[in-house]
Amino acid sequence: MEESKKAELDEYSPSEMMAACGARAIKDRETVFAGTGLPVLAAMLAQKTHAPRSKAIYEGGFIEPQNIDLPLSVADSRLTYRAAAAIGLRETLGVLLQGGRIDIGFLGAAQLDEYGNINTTYIGSLEKPLVRLPGSGGGNDIASCAKRVAIIMGHAKRKLVKKLDYFTSPGHIDGPGGRRRLGLPGEGPFLVVTDLCQMTFDDSTKKIRLFTVHPGVTVEQVLENTGFDLAVPKSVVETKAPTYFELETLRNIDPRGIYIPRAAK
Amino acid sequence: MVEAAVEDKRATLEEAAKGVFDGAHLFWGGFGYQRPPAEFARELIRQKKRDLTLYTCGSEVDIDMLAGARVAKRFELAYVAIEAIGLAPNTGRRVKERALEIEDYSNLAMAMRFYGGAMGVPFMPIKSMMGTDLEKSKFRERKLKVIDCPFTGERVCLVPSVRPDFSVVQASRVDPEGNAQIDGIRGEDEEGARAGKRVIVLAEEIIDNEVVRAQPDQTVIPGLYVDKVVECPWGSHPMSVYNYYDYDLEHIRFYIKQCETEEGWQKYCEEYITGTDRVGYLAKIGLERLLRLRAKKPYGY
Repeated sequence: MEESKKAELDEYSPSEMMAACGARAIKDRETVFAGTGLPVLAAMLAQKTHAPRSKAIYEGGFIEPQNIDLPLSVADSRLTYRAAAAIGLRETLGVLLQGGRIDIGFLGAAQLDEYGNINTTYIGSLEKPLVRLPGSGGGNDIASCAKRVAIIMGHAKRKLVKKLDYFTSPGHIDGPGGRRRLGLPGEGPFLVVTDLCQMTFDDSTKKIRLFTVHPGVTVEQVLENTGFDLAVPKSVVETKAPTYFELETLRNIDPRGIYIPRAAK
Repeated sequence: MVEAAVEDKRATLEEAAKGVFDGAHLFWGGFGYQRPPAEFARELIRQKKRDLTLYTCGSEVDIDMLAGARVAKRFELAYVAIEAIGLAPNTGRRVKERALEIEDYSNLAMAMRFYGGAMGVPFMPIKSMMGTDLEKSKFRERKLKVIDCPFTGERVCLVPSVRPDFSVVQASRVDPEGNAQIDGIRGEDEEGARAGKRVIVLAEEIIDNEVVRAQPDQTVIPGLYVDKVVECPWGSHPMSVYNYYDYDLEHIRFYIKQCETEEGWQKYCEEYITGTDRVGYLAKIGLERLLRLRAKKPYGY
């Protein structure tokens, strides 16, 4: 490899790290329910690397698109290109998702609590809203019904909180058995990817615990930026940095840097 | 053989909007960036409609304008924002000043509420929304009901069907009888169009009834549901219609920027909506921009 190119691939942005972590969570042959933003990149990256037979579904009605341009929206015309089918919400959310045919769903969060419950509706409260966020969209449906869920979000104290301002989409509710008690069919979240680290869930408490820290990030830094008590296992390994292959593929998927602003030079 | 008469339901945009009375409940078609009835929204604003309730899964600039102009007093929906770009500026402002109520459901819940309404059953069962704040309502006693299924015992969430006064849908093509074709994804338009007591179909093109009948499998909304047909090319601008035009990102960003302040929104509204008409709006966007946004084959955007 040329020296200049190698240097370019030695640098990467936090968003690229997050997209790579998201992609690695997808297994080959899985059906993936992806929202816009980093999840699109994760789904496309997985398909072009280790999971070529994974199948992407987008809420608006797109089934297995082979889009060549990056969509801004889950209803973006770009996703029609070479799709296996273009149908509607009843098909994607009703039959595919609720019908138990989605292996992994991706969600974002404005706020996340220690059980992986999500807020995307209000900052403030339902009674006294300060900021109106987008709302559930299909988020609650995905969180309720996908076999497993990965959450991708920015890491900040005001985002990883003890108590949600509004409870939009279900994680593990209040601990073990919480989802089963409510009758939610999916297994709930198993992974949280942020710009600082990856977190998983403790099987016995269903609370979030630290899993890996991204290269250059310390455990203290993660704890300082987390609003709830984060369990830290005895050994925390470093996240595997994005490979040259992952980075090159990602940069071909998003050549104009729409979702992944390039690392500062 | 006696030739069947083709009923002509064509109306102008102004006439179709005139029929929408103050306080009416509307199913609002399109999904996110795809085929929202944006020009119909602008016409409702020009005609100074008041107190409308809008039902939809997710909508963006179009319903945000209705919130800004105080045409809508209530949304029942799952999503309102400018996807991937920002929050819905007017909606946020009106919610904060308590001039707009939002009753939140999930996307699947809204689609099923329309499907239930279309089929004439009072509710539909789903497996989401349970255990979250989506069960709560500020506005009514019963927003949904979680029950144990009488057959299997599993917990299900019943969401109430809706039969709005009107359904408003932007289609790709429609004939004078109201038989509508939609290219690409349909979002929740299939069930939404069938839920309304009266149905208004706007379309990019009017086609001949013969075209419809030569390929009946292309009809997404049969005309027998439809009351009014409006020819409305570029009707979803600044959003997109697959096979016709792409979204106008420059204008969407301009809209958000303008709407950062109340004064900015008022200025936008006067310049692009109330101070002009359908054709004047397109002239303001400009021929050069519109030609650039036209869909390219075989991509459809």
